[in-house]
Amino acid sequence: MDLLKVNWGRRKHSLFYYLFLASKQLFPLDLYLFSPNPFRFDQPSSSSRLFDFGRMSQSGVDVPAKGGFSFDLCKRNDMLIQKGLKAPSFLKTGTTIVGLIFKDGVILGADTRATEGPIVADKNCEKIHYMAPNIYCCGAGTAADTEAVTDMVSSQLRLHRYQTGRDSRVITALTLLKKHLFSYQGHVSAALVLGGVDITGPHLHTIYPHGSTDTLPFATMGSGSLAAMSVFEAKYKEGLTRDEGIKLVAEAICSGIFNDLGSGSNVDICVITKGNKEYLRNYMEPNPRTYVSSKGYSFTKKTEVLRTKITPLMERVEITEVGEAMEE
Amino acid sequence: MGDSQYSFSLTTFSPSGKLVQIEHALTAVGSGQTSLGIKASNGVVIATEKKLPSILVDEESVQKIQHLTPNIGVVYSGMGPDFRVLVRKSRKQAEQYNRLYKEPIPVTQLVRETATVMQEFTQSGGVRPFGVSLLVAGYDDKGPQLYQVDPSGSYFSWKASAMGKNVSNAKTFLEKRYTEDMELDDAIHTAILTLKEGFEGEISSKNIEIGKIGADKIFRVLTPAEIDDYLAEVE
Repeated sequence: MDLLKVNWGRRKHSLFYYLFLASKQLFPLDLYLFSPNPFRFDQPSSSSRLFDFGRMSQSGVDVPAKGGFSFDLCKRNDMLIQKGLKAPSFLKTGTTIVGLIFKDGVILGADTRATEGPIVADKNCEKIHYMAPNIYCCGAGTAADTEAVTDMVSSQLRLHRYQTGRDSRVITALTLLKKHLFSYQGHVSAALVLGGVDITGPHLHTIYPHGSTDTLPFATMGSGSLAAMSVFEAKYKEGLTRDEGIKLVAEAICSGIFNDLGSGSNVDICVITKGNKEYLRNYMEPNPRTYVSSKGYSFTKKTEVLRTKITPLMERVEITEVGEAMEE
Repeated sequence: MGDSQYSFSLTTFSPSGKLVQIEHALTAVGSGQTSLGIKASNGVVIATEKKLPSILVDEESVQKIQHLTPNIGVVYSGMGPDFRVLVRKSRKQAEQYNRLYKEPIPVTQLVRETATVMQEFTQSGGVRPFGVSLLVAGYDDKGPQLYQVDPSGSYFSWKASAMGKNVSNAKTFLEKRYTEDMELDDAIHTAILTLKEGFEGEISSKNIEIGKIGADKIFRVLTPAEIDDYLAEVE
């Protein structure tokens, strides 16, 4: 059964993969005769350098690579998908998220719909995440990824604040996020709009899942980004006041809500200025539930009991005393 | 950790059952600057002497009282660099707890984890115990709390405690002056008087440091101006 955990070179593969490989191999008889180790296959010339047929490993114990993400299973997943296996679905945020810089700071906006394929999983989720008292981050992509990543960086920023005794800077949050996302090579599917006001002024950045970033005066991300960007491109100007800015952001999010299926429900807005922040949760609710029956709902047909069967899970226990009592 | 030559513990038992290194560590603490803490009915105050080695040292850059979390602060007696390392570790542990359980770390938990770190350094190869005793002041759901953590890793909850050079005088003074229903401001006055007891030279806002936490659960280090106000009241 050692074949199950054969180490080809330094990688460990399952039996399935081994069979997959073996089925593609020729079996050179002459080399087998000369080789002292019957399990030592030599590579046919056509075979690629992908398979490093080293010696059979001495032990079945696989030492994990030190630190970081192990990409071994990604190859297996790709192969399984090619074979026709459907990957499990996950909660995505669809989303329209936007940010813009106005006269006194930054305004971030987001919709509140979380989707799981064609189903709305959460009608009122929070997509604007806290990073620091003066920095907030909107997240699009896989909901778990955005939440975990923003949570982790928020934690790191807090420790950094204790160490330095200073307020966090937006560029610090940006660098921590992009380093993390880059090291996961895009597998952490989080597209973020990061905005805040620090000692150097107001800043707005976008971060893509692979780790690239942009610094912009106005930005949109998510499936509704084109709808929102069209509003910004038409109406944005420098030096907007707070009310103008909020109105423009709300308009951009609404454009995403109404024109993109992945975005919907309400508008969340966060206004960050020097020394102050306002989180306007559900600032606008353009999709209220219009009809609710005044009589209420009653279900007349009750559940019918067809059959009753009771199975005790624990057999009766018999106690027999054996041996001496324990000493004190 | 450490070389294979030093993979044995430097803290070994003496024939009388004592750990001599820890005794020495406590001596190091005992020769450090005095610090004390008092638990009031509605808060905790911790204070310390801030005697700088020379008048040329920029006293604003020295901060002996540190935050561990927004509602927990700490002061020490003993070796400053050891304190820095412990503070850094404790902050990280508090943050990890917060991330895992999404609640601010209770004071007892943080004290226990810090004490565990200090104990580890008494039972590992190639390291020496920390030369600091800590006074941890915090306010959480269980109310105001004051803990002292020793180099051995043992910790106790105190109503009032002192450590460092002037410990015996300070503790006697505190025993006389402490009352159960003290309020936070009274506690601050008592703390200043206790520090004054064994103070060499003139006490002023430049050579003491005071931190307090009240029912608002926010730990604050008092500014020199505030300390001056309290000193004036005490006079």
